[in-house]
Amino acid sequence: MEGVEVIAKPLRIDSDQHRRAPLDGETMAAFAIFALCIILIVGARFISPALGGWDHVETTLVLASFLIVVAFGQGLVILVGGLDLSVASMITLGGVLSTTLVGSYDAGAWALPAVIVFCGLLGALNGVGAGYLNIPPFIMTMAMGVIVYSGCLGYTKGSPRGSSPELFVYLMKAQWLGVPVAIVFIALFALGGWSVQRRTAFGRRLYAVGSNRAAAFIAGVRVRRITMSAYIVSAVCAGFTGMMLVGYANGATLRMGDSYLLPSIAAVVVGGSSILGGRGSFIGTVGGAILLTTLSTIILALGVPQGWRTVIEGMIVLVALLMLREQLYQAVSRIFSRP
Amino acid sequence: MTAITARSTAMRAQTWWRPLSDGAVVITIIYLLLFAIYAMNEPSALSIFSITSLINNSTPLALAAAGATLVIVCRGFDLSVAGVVSVTNVVMAVQPLEGPWGALGSLFACLAIGGFIGLINGYLVAYLRLQSIASTLGVMIVCQGVALVILDAPGGWVAEWVSYELTDVLFGVLPVSGLILLGVVGLWLIFLRSDLAVAIYAIGADETSAALSGIVTRRVRLLAYVGAGLLYACAGYMLSAQTATGNPTAGTPFIILTFAAVAIGGTSFSGGSGGVIGSIIGAATLMLLQKVLFSTGVSSFYTGLFQGVILILAILFRGAVVALAARRSAA
Amino acid sequence: MEGSKEPAAVSAWGLKKSYGPTVALEDVSLTVNPGEIHALLGENGAGKSTLVKIFSGILPPDSGEMTLLGGHYRPGSIMAARAAGVSTAFQELSVLPNLSVAQNLLLPRAEKGLFGLNSRKATEERARALLEKFGLGQLDPRQIVAELALSDKQRLEIVRALSRDPKFLILDEPTAALTDVDWVFGLIRGVAARGSSVLYISHRLSEVRELCGHATILRNGRSIASVNLAGADNAEIFKMMVGRGSRERRRTVQKAKPAAKVALKVAGLKSKTLRDVGFELREGEILGVAALEGQGQQGLFRILGGVERPDDGHISVDDRVRHFKDPHDAQTRGSGMAFVPEERKADGIFPGMQVTSNITISILDRLSRAGCLPFARERRVALAVAEKVELGRRYLGYRINELSGGNQQKTILARVLATGAKTLVLYDPTRGVDVGTKQTIYAAIRDFAAKGGSVLLYSSELPELVEIADRCLVIYGGRVFDELAGEEIDERSLVAGVTGNRRRHRTPVRQETPTGAEASA
Repeated sequence: MEGVEVIAKPLRIDSDQHRRAPLDGETMAAFAIFALCIILIVGARFISPALGGWDHVETTLVLASFLIVVAFGQGLVILVGGLDLSVASMITLGGVLSTTLVGSYDAGAWALPAVIVFCGLLGALNGVGAGYLNIPPFIMTMAMGVIVYSGCLGYTKGSPRGSSPELFVYLMKAQWLGVPVAIVFIALFALGGWSVQRRTAFGRRLYAVGSNRAAAFIAGVRVRRITMSAYIVSAVCAGFTGMMLVGYANGATLRMGDSYLLPSIAAVVVGGSSILGGRGSFIGTVGGAILLTTLSTIILALGVPQGWRTVIEGMIVLVALLMLREQLYQAVSRIFSRP
Repeated sequence: MTAITARSTAMRAQTWWRPLSDGAVVITIIYLLLFAIYAMNEPSALSIFSITSLINNSTPLALAAAGATLVIVCRGFDLSVAGVVSVTNVVMAVQPLEGPWGALGSLFACLAIGGFIGLINGYLVAYLRLQSIASTLGVMIVCQGVALVILDAPGGWVAEWVSYELTDVLFGVLPVSGLILLGVVGLWLIFLRSDLAVAIYAIGADETSAALSGIVTRRVRLLAYVGAGLLYACAGYMLSAQTATGNPTAGTPFIILTFAAVAIGGTSFSGGSGGVIGSIIGAATLMLLQKVLFSTGVSSFYTGLFQGVILILAILFRGAVVALAARRSAA
Repeated sequence: MEGSKEPAAVSAWGLKKSYGPTVALEDVSLTVNPGEIHALLGENGAGKSTLVKIFSGILPPDSGEMTLLGGHYRPGSIMAARAAGVSTAFQELSVLPNLSVAQNLLLPRAEKGLFGLNSRKATEERARALLEKFGLGQLDPRQIVAELALSDKQRLEIVRALSRDPKFLILDEPTAALTDVDWVFGLIRGVAARGSSVLYISHRLSEVRELCGHATILRNGRSIASVNLAGADNAEIFKMMVGRGSRERRRTVQKAKPAAKVALKVAGLKSKTLRDVGFELREGEILGVAALEGQGQQGLFRILGGVERPDDGHISVDDRVRHFKDPHDAQTRGSGMAFVPEERKADGIFPGMQVTSNITISILDRLSRAGCLPFARERRVALAVAEKVELGRRYLGYRINELSGGNQQKTILARVLATGAKTLVLYDPTRGVDVGTKQTIYAAIRDFAAKGGSVLLYSSELPELVEIADRCLVIYGGRVFDELAGEEIDERSLVAGVTGNRRRHRTPVRQETPTGAEASA
């Protein structure tokens, strides 16, 4: 061939990174979090003799139970790439409805499942808006939150009445063989939640949608349906949490859900899930919830005023986001893998 | 080719107005209709006092919505409006500075606060590439905490000059807050003629193409957040003038209202379109709606419900309009 | 040859660039002389777009050197490249849809008027002058770009690059959306005549030959050769681009399978990009599709995959007309159709998830018992299908984004094989994949067909279709323009078909002949 300078060399096939699969980064994060919790609790003894013992552990775990349940639902929504800002109102709704139906009207055993179903329906509305109608999730859920709160306000005319259903008082206050029922419950819930996320087709689809929505659609996943399911579960969990809170405090207040919105997101992010979705483990989220609760009990014991407590809350979220950015995550994963 | 020329001649008069007028015209019409309804029910609606009161009520939200618009146009989200408003409000109430010079000083202090928070937001989102909802939510919570630290319960008092003069009426007919809003609108119209404004719209439509066209996307996004922070600070300033007292949770109602105002004002959350004027009128519409609901006897408990429903409907409506336009142009 | 004794206007040597584990450029060297129009050839995935990004200042090379007009060239940004005199018209158009033509032309800085503010009038006037200068006077500078036709957007992109009076102009697929190329050619020749250099990237070899004297050929991230186009014929060029000789004859004589059932029948399909498409696909058949970019084939495949809906027409699977709501429908109705999309990174893989999960994502219902996914069973199934595509078992536990492009593609192929669908709809399945993996993928496809499955396969590489297809459709202008079978499938006929030229000897096509505008090329 005339006029051709050939600079050819043997072709190189682009190769894989020849690495063993890295030690599961998520499990590592979970271990780290639990270790941190233990360190904090042990260290708390130096702050006050009331802290640092088994009592402290018990109280912390019971207090963390609310966050654990809410964070499961929030975690599923974050997993598919969304965000549920309505959880605070749903918690309030669950609490208000259960005290009113059971406490005031003495409605009987069907009432509690009815409340759950109602929350689920509202969650489905979130899912329809965010999944089917392409309304940005944070707008849809924020609007829903305001609507639900407003509904609660109108329904209770500003002051919720009634008492807590016995079932939930039992759940939150009773003990089995010295161990609070609540702790047994969250252990089972943690296991169950982790299993749903990791070991079911439903959970797998959530990961897929969060990881690459377009690919999930092409691969035959019913993306919109799965997204809606995540929002339904989130609303149900939040409603259930409201009922738990009512069992613990023996009454509902209109603002009872407020202090769980940001912590539900924080627990998920601190626990190692990506805020963008597609990655994370519920065990990590449980660890995150316990860590946050531990921190807040210690801060309370230190007598830190409300304002500073709020500042710290916000800083935790920011720090968690900063530390868990994609680049950092990959860099850390690379450290744990071997060539 | 002649067909193209003919069509473009027809478009000639309209195209430059596109960024401004799309949603803004619709919301203006809605506002006027709503005002007509209001005026029919309330005989005193057309008095100077009533109009002044309306404008005073709307100004803080209008300013907040204007700020949020900047961020939303470049396809970002900013939840920190509540935080900035709360902090500036408590600062005004805890450190009142008397007289007109004091008012100016307070304004600068607020702007410094808002600008600083905007700078942080912008840095986190544009340079560190954090997800904007979660990070601005975190910043908002920190600000709320700071507000609580400064003032842990509603109280304090805002400087008299600020709370009297800025809610007053000039020459008996011109509400001061209305003039302030007009000033902001004027600034916006001037800003639209800057490369920065064009860049913000460009990034919102297609960040990659904007970068390929030579726009420094990170810096522009940062500046959008800073601008938003400055406007939120103005909102807090005017809110202080309005309420004359401090409240560490003053900003909380702003979250949903700001986004609702932006949505019904015609700015799309997917970026690249809309504008401040629509958002300002949207804010005015929402505040007017509250008044209308109240005057028709709807319990104040349910205002939140209306606000939420309106926000959702506004977005659905916008989506339907866009889809229809796309279908018509494809045909 | 022009100006070969003068120093080169633009040169690069030893350029390397990697994105994590993926090597985009291995060792690229290039020389363009002043006043030369130099072509850059290479198949998809060869590294052309990375090279364009490096020249344009978007990405820095990991190593290597570049010179521009005798001086060291290492732009830190697009604006720096522009300042140095480099201007690019990108393949993915970079005009902003929500701004006007005038604003786009002058980005990032519009013309200023009073008080240093943007002057609408001055901007439009300057834009109008530019449009006139480059023969686009019919565009209204005030018009919003979103309202322009795609071809006008492309013209605008080109004029924008030209308007900066560059010393080095890069054009990446500038004629993809244009039917009339004379305008572009005139402009390019004008630029070259003024002494600037042009780098012209295109799939359309006939255009390249008309415009350029020399070409650099990229393959797998390396510059393989610098060719004098006058002295090399298409076959030689294809060989250099692809790395092996194109087959002049069919690989084996095809066993006649006339009695096989029709697995898929398409009739009268219409959509935004399809005018009227109809064909039959039989069991055990590999039906190839050949087309240039943008002829409607992407829409066709996405419709068959259930991703998009047609405006009109019928799709019959197993003799029953089906309407697919979504890909899930397409996979599960009847004997099933599974789709492999064009871009594995954007539409194919789940980056953070394991290879096993990537494979089994479409069959989760089948694997799970009472909602739970037994891991052992999942792994077994994944292993079985991974063997069919020769994907090593050690890869199953890796995260898929750690695998090479070829192994990722194998994973996606494994996924569709695992669905048990009887028909595979594959869009460019060997794009950006190394030679060895290509052969493996061909083997897997042939094996699938031999067991009674049907395959519809689009490839941008004509030699691949020659090698593997039993029959081949040519799509042009949104229609089935030609159909070749068995011995008829050769590159010359395919090249003719995809550019809208009739072959000399052919079997009659079932549709009406296209209009005059399409028949000429």
